[in-house]
This record gives sequence, C-alpha cells and structure tokens, in this order.
Amino acid sequence: MSTIDLSVSPLGRVEGDLDVRVTIDDGIVSSAWTTAGMFRGFEMILKGKDPQAGLIVTPRICGICGGSHLYKSAYALDTAWETHLPPNATLIRNIAQACETLQSIPRYFYALFAIDLTNKKYAKSALYDEAVRRFAPYVGTSYQTGVVLSQKPVEVYAMFGGQWPHSSFMVPGGVMCAPTLAEVTRSISILENWNRAWLEGQWLGCSVDRWLENRTWDDVLAWVDENEAQHDSDCGFFIRYCMDVGLDDYGQGVGNYIATGTYFQPDLYENPTIDGRNAALINRSGIYANGEFSEFDHLRVAEDTAHSFYEGSGLLHPWEGVTNPIDPADGAKQDKYSWAKSPRYDVPGHGHIPLEAGPLARRIAAAAPDAAGHQDDDPLFMDILNRIGPSVMTRQLARMHEGPKYYRWTRQWLDDLDLQESFYTKPVEHESGRGFGSTEAARGSLSDWIVIEDGKIENYQVVTPTAWNIGPRDGNGVLGPIEDALVGSPIHDTSDPVELGHVARSFDSCLVCTVHAYDGKTGKELSKFVINGMT
Amino acid sequence: MTAAVAGSGDSFGPLSVEAARSLALDDEQSAHPRGQIVVIGCGSLLRGDDAVGPILVRHLWDEGVPDEVTLVDGGTAGMDVAFKMRGARKVVIVDAAATGADPGTIYRVPGEELEDLPAVDGLHMHQFRWDHALAFGRWLLADEYPDDITVYLIEIESTEPGAELTDRVAASMRHVAAMLQTDWAAELDADAR
Repeated sequence: MSTIDLSVSPLGRVEGDLDVRVTIDDGIVSSAWTTAGMFRGFEMILKGKDPQAGLIVTPRICGICGGSHLYKSAYALDTAWETHLPPNATLIRNIAQACETLQSIPRYFYALFAIDLTNKKYAKSALYDEAVRRFAPYVGTSYQTGVVLSQKPVEVYAMFGGQWPHSSFMVPGGVMCAPTLAEVTRSISILENWNRAWLEGQWLGCSVDRWLENRTWDDVLAWVDENEAQHDSDCGFFIRYCMDVGLDDYGQGVGNYIATGTYFQPDLYENPTIDGRNAALINRSGIYANGEFSEFDHLRVAEDTAHSFYEGSGLLHPWEGVTNPIDPADGAKQDKYSWAKSPRYDVPGHGHIPLEAGPLARRIAAAAPDAAGHQDDDPLFMDILNRIGPSVMTRQLARMHEGPKYYRWTRQWLDDLDLQESFYTKPVEHESGRGFGSTEAARGSLSDWIVIEDGKIENYQVVTPTAWNIGPRDGNGVLGPIEDALVGSPIHDTSDPVELGHVARSFDSCLVCTVHAYDGKTGKELSKFVINGMT
Repeated sequence: MTAAVAGSGDSFGPLSVEAARSLALDDEQSAHPRGQIVVIGCGSLLRGDDAVGPILVRHLWDEGVPDEVTLVDGGTAGMDVAFKMRGARKVVIVDAAATGADPGTIYRVPGEELEDLPAVDGLHMHQFRWDHALAFGRWLLADEYPDDITVYLIEIESTEPGAELTDRVAASMRHVAAMLQTDWAAELDADAR
C-alpha cells in the first residue's frame, strides 16, 4: 500500500487562503485537513464599539457576501432592540439578499466551478469537447455570457442599497432608501431581462415555471430528455456531463445538514424576535441529522476551538464565545491547525456534531413536513438524496435549483412594495440586550450573535457558512464537513488532483478577503516608478 | 435603447456573447452612468493601512465632488470594479502596496505597465488587485474599456485588524486626494470653456 501526502493550495479561489492537505492511499483520499490560513480579527474589532458597528464592519468581511453580512447584522440588532420593521423594509431586505444570491449562482458556477469540468482528465468523455466549448475560462461561450450577465442582479441591489457589495443601507428598524416607481420599474426590467437572457435562455432552456414543476429525480431525468432546448441547455448538459464523468459518485460529506433559513413573510415579522423567527421564514430553517428532522434552535450552536489557533477548546455558545488568538507555532504543538473555529450543533440525542451548510442543506430543510402556507415546500432534493445520495453533482444542482425559485420570489416582492408606505421605523436604542440575526448567504447559513451592555458591544460573534463547512476537527477528533467530504475521493492523477477541487468547490467556501497588498517581488519593479518618496 | 433579448415567446436558447455584452452594458439596464470621472478605492477597510483606497474615497465624499465624478468604494470586490469602469471618460484607481519602501511612498503606475496586464486566463476571480481588475475590465468591457486610466499605489506600514491608518499613510492619502481634486478641477474647467 502506498501513502502519499499531498498539499494543494489554493482550492477555494475565493477571498483568501484555504490550504488543504490530504493523504492518499492507493489512489483514494484517506484523510484530510483543511487550514484557513488567516486570522479573522473582526470580533475583536467590534468589542467595545457602538452597537451598530456590525453594520459597517461585517459587510467588509467578504467582497462577495457583503449584502448577506449586512442582512443578518441588521436582524441581530432588530432582535436585540425589539424594533418594528415596516413590511416594505422586510421586502427590500428580501430582494437585496436574493439579488446577491442570484448574482452568485452563475458567477460561482462559471467562474469558479465549471472551469474544472474542462480538465484534461475528462478528455475521454464523448461530451468533453462540448464542455470545453462552453466552460473554458474567458473564451467558453457559456462562461462569457454567464459571467458578463452575472452583474445584473446586483445592479438591482445597488438601486436600493446605493452600491454593492459594501453597502450599509439596512439598519435596525428598516432600510435607508426611498425607492421611486421608476427605480422599481427599472429593477423589474433588469431582472426580467436577466432571466430571459441567462436563467431561462441559457441555463434552463425552458421557463422558470416549467423547471419548478420538477418534484423528483425521475422528473429531472425526464426533463432533460423532454426537448432539445432543455437537453442542450447548460443545466441539461451539466447533468448529463456529471453522470458521464462520475461527479455523482463522490463528495458525499457528513450527510447531516443545517439551514438557519432566510427571507421573511413581511406581516409575520413586523416585530422581529428570536423566538418568532422560524415561523416567519419563507426559506425555512431546519436540521436534518441521522435521517431525522428537527427544528433549528440557535441555542444549540456552539463553537469548538480544540484544533483552532485560539485559546481553549470550546464548546461555547456564540453569546459566550471568545476569540483570543494564539501564535500558530504554539498552537501547532497542541495539534491546532486552522484559523477557522469548528461550529457544532447539539442534535437532540446525538450530541455536538458537524453539519453541512449551504444550498443542499436549504433544499433539505425545504422538504421537511409541516410547512406553513407562506413557506417553501419542495420535496425535490429529499427525493434526490434518497435516490442517488449527496455528491458533488447533487450539491451543485441544489445551488442552481435556487436560481428559478429566488427569481420568482424576488419578482413577486418587487410587485408587493407599497411606495406610499414607510420603509423605516426609528427604534429605541436600548442600553443592553442580546440579539441573534441570521440568513442564508449563497454558500450557506450566516449568523451574528450580539451582546450589548452599557450601550456598547460586549460580545459579537459571526459564524459563517465557510466555518460550518471548512472548520477543522473538533475536540472529539471528528472531521469537519469538507474534510469528511474529501475522504474517499478517487485521485486519478496526483500531479493534478482535480477531484479535490470539485469537492472543495462544490461547497463554494470563501474565507476572509486576503490583504491584497504587494509582495516584495513586484515591489522591486515598481520601485522604479516612485513619484513621491516620503521619508 | 433596449438590447436584444433571447427567449421571446416559447423559444429558449443562449444569447451570443456579443448580445450578452450589449445587454449587460446597456444604458437602460445599468445602474452606472457613463462619461464620468470614476475614482475607485480598493482594499479592505478591516485591515489597517490596506484601507487607504476606501478611506480616500470616503475622504473625497466628505469634501464633496462635482456631478461628473463618481466615487467607487471598490473594497475587496475586484470583479465589480470592472463593471463600474464602463464608458468612463477617465478612471483613477487607488490601492495599497507593500513593496518594502518607506511607508507612505506614493507610486503612479506608468502607462506601459497598464498595457502589460496579466493574461485573463490566469486570473482567479477573488484574488484581484488593481492589475487583475484592469485585465478583467479590458476583457469584460471590450470597446467600452476606458482609455484614460491612472493607478496610484500607496506604500503601507501596518495591516493590523481594525487599526486606523498610520500617520504617514494618512498623509499620503490626503496628498493623493488633493492631486485628484486639482486634476479634475482643471479638466472640468477646460470643459466648461
């Protein structure tokens, strides 16, 4: 038996450093360690600051999920200050969150994920030439249109938020905008054009309504063969290609899921509370673990730091959470290996276990029983899970399935705005309180916990989808979701382990933005061009 | 004008690349006006001196800018910076640099360096610096890629999370801001005559 150590970096291609180390035994990944290479200092930045500082700081954590960060930080304050939210404010927040995700879906698919489908490993597939024609970076026909058009949904965000991604227009009690009829009309036009050009025209090859009729895996397979437009659409092609090259075979992951949910029914969340949150959600929250559903309860979340470069080992609920970094060299002596913490969820009867966050988790939550009338009730991915199981393909298909769904909802929310009514109710800024705000960023559950004392932030903890998925082992030695998903992957060519890329990227993980300052090498050339030496 | 749109009626099919670009950059379909002087500050607000670009944009905002100037807080969203350059009469990018020179040193990247950009097929979407943003913009915008581009880089001292700009970097930020104000005042004044 041969064992090879392999280090691959970067796999994430998004917002910072993700180092993945795996061991391979006889061509199969036997263990994995994911290392977030950078310290996120924002919890320390926020301590002692004005309670609203999270609205400014957290959208800067990430250049692609800025709107999602803003959304949940606003709700953390809404619940802490017991604000009133006019229905218009809830609608605008829903629209903004959905537009950010609608932007992310094609941009992530073409610019980050599908590039790997053109890897030479697949050259023997009869569909390979077509994959290259469509997905080759910068020159692929689908790559170009998909990436070029991916900007359109966030232009709608910018219409209300002023700019994207680094806006702070959501505030406790509402949103800081007063949209005009012209802006709403223009937003509708932009979205409808984007839908016809990319979502229906290129991705689906059918109407959004037709796609959403699919309720089972058999429905999806029948849909592919229903007509030429669907068969040859990017979605139809993607499904056929995955099954041809085996992307439906690996990358299963832990098989247990967390969705904290997002989007609120305006009339059910005029007075946001933590206890009333689950019932007001449109995109439902839920835990699915060991084959059973349970209701999401934020008090069951804890962060473990046994293998993270922080003092102690956890498990602490985020309201009690601490972020005291240590020297990684000292941490390494204690078997610590990542700047990410390990979020765990106390599943009734099973203890604190890792859960996968992301679109597949949301799709499973959408299949839980007892949906209220305003809630997403969609059995498709539970059926897929039962029929073919989780995999790189399943995870990716779940992400893409949300495009038609969120488009339809967003279109409706734009119609529901009442421009004669208010978008903001000035809140009472209580001197103390505890809040919890959460959303579903494109890549999974994203939550803030805030403790306010004497009018200042006493504690602020952010748990990102990347942390849920990419966190290291916990105190019990249990692997994090991506680590777990990598195990069992077949590696065709250790000099080009594209399989690891597929698995890691199917989670669409992102880390804190890397400081994009210069290295010394580039600096040497630039030093010729000094125009103003300051000494 | 309205760009051609696919999928009319019951027929569905992909747009050509040209049609998609024309839709993406269409006036009616864009939140960004054209013909502006666009000032883009890049960098992370959370990382000490790396924030010098976004802080410069805020500084200019506080001082007030003419209608012809669009300020863009580019932050860390490299790809979107490219969209905001669409049809601009002039683009100025301000970013942080760490070359090992004295903190606060201001560089202006010369024109030939702006021609010699990294190849687009070697780019990673979210590890953008100014040169990646420009290379991507040249690919994305094609004919609408602006031809008047200036890049200023300011040498940083510290990237401590949450810290203010260090003194020398703050002084250079104000210096660059003043240069920009002088430049566009002269340009707009010439326009008016």
